[in-house]
Amino acid sequence: MRNLGANRLRPLVLVFVLALVFAACGDGRNDDEESSGDDDDTEQTTDDTVDDGEEPAEGSDLIDATDCPGDPTTGVADGTIKLGTSLPQSGLYASFAEILRGSQAYFSYVNEELGGVTVNGEQYQIELVAEDDAYDAEQTVGNVTGLVNDDQVFGLFNVVGTKNNLAVREFVNENCAPSLFAATGAPAWGNHEYPWVLGTFLVPYPLEMQALVDYLNETTPDASIAILAANDDFGAAYVETLESLVEGTGLTIAATETYDTATGEVASQITTLAATDADVFLLGATLTACPTVLNELAGSGWDPIVYMSGTCTSKTLMGLAGQNGDGVISVAPLLDPADPANASNEAMTLYNEKVAQYQPEAAADNGIVAYGWSAAAMLVYTLENSPELTRESVMETARSLTDVSDVGLMLPGATWSVGADDWFLGEQFNLVQYSAADGFFSAVGDLKVYDDQTEEVTPESLVNG
Amino acid sequence: MTQVKRVAGWILGFVGFAAALLLTWRVFTQSLDLFDGLFNDPSKASTIDLFTEALYIGIAAMGLNILTGYNGQVSIGHGAFFGVGAYASAILMFDHGWAYLPTLPIAGLICLVVGILVGIPALRVKGLYLALVTLGLAVVFPDLTKRFVDGTGGTNLISLKTEQISPPYWYDWFPDFIADPLTDYVGSRDQWAFWLTVAVAVATIVTVWFISRSRFGRALIAVRDHESAAVTVGVNNARVKVSAFAISAFFAGLAGSLSVLVSRLANAGKVETFQLSILLLVAVVVGGTATVWGPMLGAFVVVFAQDYIDEQDTLTDLLDPPRAKLMSPALFGIALIILMYVLPDGIVGGARRGLRSLSRRRAAPIDA
Amino acid sequence: MDQLEQFLQHLMNGIEAGVIYASLALALVLIFKTTGILNFAQGEMALVSTYFTWKLAEWGLPVWIAILVSVGVSFVGGALIERVVIRPVEKSSALVIVIVTIGLFLALNSLAQVVFGTDAHLMPRAYPNESWDVFGVNVEADTLVLVAVLAAECALLWYILQRTKVGLALRGVASNPDSSRLVGVPVGTMLMFGWGLSAAIGALAGSLVVPTTAGLTAGSMQSILVFAFAAAALGGFDSPLGAVVGGLIVGVANSLTTAYVDWLNDIEIIVPFGLILLVLLFKPAGLFGKVHVERV
Repeated sequence: MRNLGANRLRPLVLVFVLALVFAACGDGRNDDEESSGDDDDTEQTTDDTVDDGEEPAEGSDLIDATDCPGDPTTGVADGTIKLGTSLPQSGLYASFAEILRGSQAYFSYVNEELGGVTVNGEQYQIELVAEDDAYDAEQTVGNVTGLVNDDQVFGLFNVVGTKNNLAVREFVNENCAPSLFAATGAPAWGNHEYPWVLGTFLVPYPLEMQALVDYLNETTPDASIAILAANDDFGAAYVETLESLVEGTGLTIAATETYDTATGEVASQITTLAATDADVFLLGATLTACPTVLNELAGSGWDPIVYMSGTCTSKTLMGLAGQNGDGVISVAPLLDPADPANASNEAMTLYNEKVAQYQPEAAADNGIVAYGWSAAAMLVYTLENSPELTRESVMETARSLTDVSDVGLMLPGATWSVGADDWFLGEQFNLVQYSAADGFFSAVGDLKVYDDQTEEVTPESLVNG
Repeated sequence: MTQVKRVAGWILGFVGFAAALLLTWRVFTQSLDLFDGLFNDPSKASTIDLFTEALYIGIAAMGLNILTGYNGQVSIGHGAFFGVGAYASAILMFDHGWAYLPTLPIAGLICLVVGILVGIPALRVKGLYLALVTLGLAVVFPDLTKRFVDGTGGTNLISLKTEQISPPYWYDWFPDFIADPLTDYVGSRDQWAFWLTVAVAVATIVTVWFISRSRFGRALIAVRDHESAAVTVGVNNARVKVSAFAISAFFAGLAGSLSVLVSRLANAGKVETFQLSILLLVAVVVGGTATVWGPMLGAFVVVFAQDYIDEQDTLTDLLDPPRAKLMSPALFGIALIILMYVLPDGIVGGARRGLRSLSRRRAAPIDA
Repeated sequence: MDQLEQFLQHLMNGIEAGVIYASLALALVLIFKTTGILNFAQGEMALVSTYFTWKLAEWGLPVWIAILVSVGVSFVGGALIERVVIRPVEKSSALVIVIVTIGLFLALNSLAQVVFGTDAHLMPRAYPNESWDVFGVNVEADTLVLVAVLAAECALLWYILQRTKVGLALRGVASNPDSSRLVGVPVGTMLMFGWGLSAAIGALAGSLVVPTTAGLTAGSMQSILVFAFAAAALGGFDSPLGAVVGGLIVGVANSLTTAYVDWLNDIEIIVPFGLILLVLLFKPAGLFGKVHVERV
């Protein structure tokens, strides 16, 4: 019995002594760690909290860069500007990767033939680091934080996807990393709390509704409208804006149905909507849901005027609808590369030539490649018009773009501006109509001009939600 | 005399315990020198985040293992529980302004309750059919969030600000010799997320270890192997099976909550939730079903393998860049298949077999 | 369109969708019935077969011939997959095999995109897209063809499994591989046959179903797969007839719910799974499945 007690005590005593010894020896080193720790603290702030909600002062500085962590010329080194992007390059949405082909073609053209981008008298090559996020917002966060922290990019370009951009806008804003031409038409990019994100020139979804309402008021002012929209923020943007816009006009909304983007089931909804026999059908859908609906429509015996989301105007998608796409109305911010009438246009010739030269794998008549090309052109334009090559300066330039014209494949005669209050670019565009026989879209009427109207038109909850 | 000895024993025991704590702390801070480069370099944050991800996937996988490995109920829907945990934390922080730490146990408890609610009807459904019903969970959950969650920008995504997921201020209250190193190594977001996840992971491993050695653990296995026999020895099958669901959901919920610190968001989509459910199952099988360490190891293998594959640029020589990335899922799938050939018992199972065959060789009797 | 016509149309839509689910579910059920495996990769195998059909038609083959060739090649392909990919882990636990099929799922989907491109392709039709107005309801040729094909497949399967020696061997191997081996049944060959047959059914399903949707993409089978699983579970995993009935039930339930139950808006997918749960509570092996009696 006594031995047991002694045995139990011995290891405890040993531990006690060892602990004292360690504690005594360790203290000296502890001080060293503390001092080096202080130095490290300043480095750590890159990922730390930054006061949020930098409200830009009206008129004067659009961007308040006083609390910005990091070096304003991050990503500029050895005559190269390094930019990053995150988009789906694998998985179900891998077809979006074609945007990159258009952008890379433009950057190659600029880098190799024009000597690079000229900013503030110096020339720089553009390097684009592209990460794959498979359209998953979580992966986008990982990619963007990696691009900004690890790869130290100057800024982001063409991040694809509404949720993907929403997921990273806090981080981008806190780190003062410009995110230029976020590739979605969502109204969320008008939110003034996030000045470091600039939405792209795709026609904003709410503005499409304004164009539709104006068109209908001219042609069929008493029309009834049936709506099929995706059951997410994209669809909601169409539905809520249209509902608010038809108030006080002769237009009425007959019925609204939603569909699930994952399953793509639309037959029941079409049946229900067809039963209303409305005059107009608004199709707030994207990707292959568009041709699927157009095909279902053909079988339903209902023959309304069809308005389709601008995101569906690609040659591929319309090809899948075939004859059922005839007469469909939509919007287009750029020249259609599939329209042979545009082939003689100077910008189009350049585009076709350079894409064939630098990205021979790309299908130049695919609208998504044309979009990538034009977005890259806008980026280069923004850089070249920036007085200095710093993040703040470039972002301010982007925020104050005025009367941009003939960049990329912009429509002849169109000018784009970013307003002080209305941050949307793509406010001049064409209303277009598809001809199945021709295989491309043609303009309906004159250029539509809606400068600074997007925020007016959009329900506030969609912008600041 | 014995009284004095007893009191002395208590005092020495207490002192010894305090000394052990001090010793552990010293070992901890000294070994951190090894990680110094990693932790104090902000550009390494993504590497730390990778470790954190592996850890919380491991936590969820260990939970799933309780249900699937030890109790034989296959679930391909644990991504949903993970999501519930993530949303619980995100909503409490985003809409109600809670600090992060209190949301962690709440997320776990909410998932525990959901686990019970799922486990009860699951009693009547077995094997393959149960797997498919749990698939239903993974598919229905994102739709529920779309309908009921009012997230950022009108979506079902809840995006959090850095200050919300940043380390709490309270460790300054500790005496300096603890607080200062704490600031060094827990001071920024990625460090905080990492160490908190380590703490939860350790607690999970300990818990699973205890479960595996307890009566409950044996009951889990008994129910898995032979339900009718288990009843005869007095096991309450229903209670065991529902508890297995509840516990596995609890850990998945904790993991989901921790993931918010790394991904800065709570999100759910049919593809994402389904893929997560599969990932957890893969981690369990790759590591070794019905082993304590297996799922954690499996999680590390799976997470790091995916990252490694994503980083690969070798394919860009064969296929031009946009197409090279297309191959990533294929490479991962092929890696899975090969892994299953080589280690059908998982890593831990395979290691055990290896050790056993080694010891058998050594112990083999020499026949004259 | 009056209320009754609308209802009938919704019903018809449900049947249209249901036969699509049933087509893939049949392949799932067949693999389970002959090998006891839950094959996650079934949809992607069908996808690759469908891409193959598309490519053959692109190269100028008449569509029906392309489909038949694709079915034949898929039979061989399925058998090869069993031999090369599944055989090494055949003796392992069910979970291991499931993981292998998951790996196959990822690999096939990704490789299809690399080989055939990420853009959506127009899938050629084997027959013109006719539709008729029956009592105000739009009936499509697609639905009738799929129903006919399903009926033929079920009849053929029944005949093979119940009335031929090969079928007997297949069933024997499924229920007790070791005993079958002892009686001289070539177990490996039988498993290969089972996989080949399922792959062939999947190829036919894909080639006929995808033209009814708009465009062949990498995601064409994934949206169907979940419902196909639901259909198979509902009907019973070892019953081909169950697959068909299950598919119809899932399709119609989905359609009617979307049309008439507004409070389930956006979460209609609860219905098929809720139905499965309900059915399983009363019939633990699905509507037509066989319950395995556990010997104590």
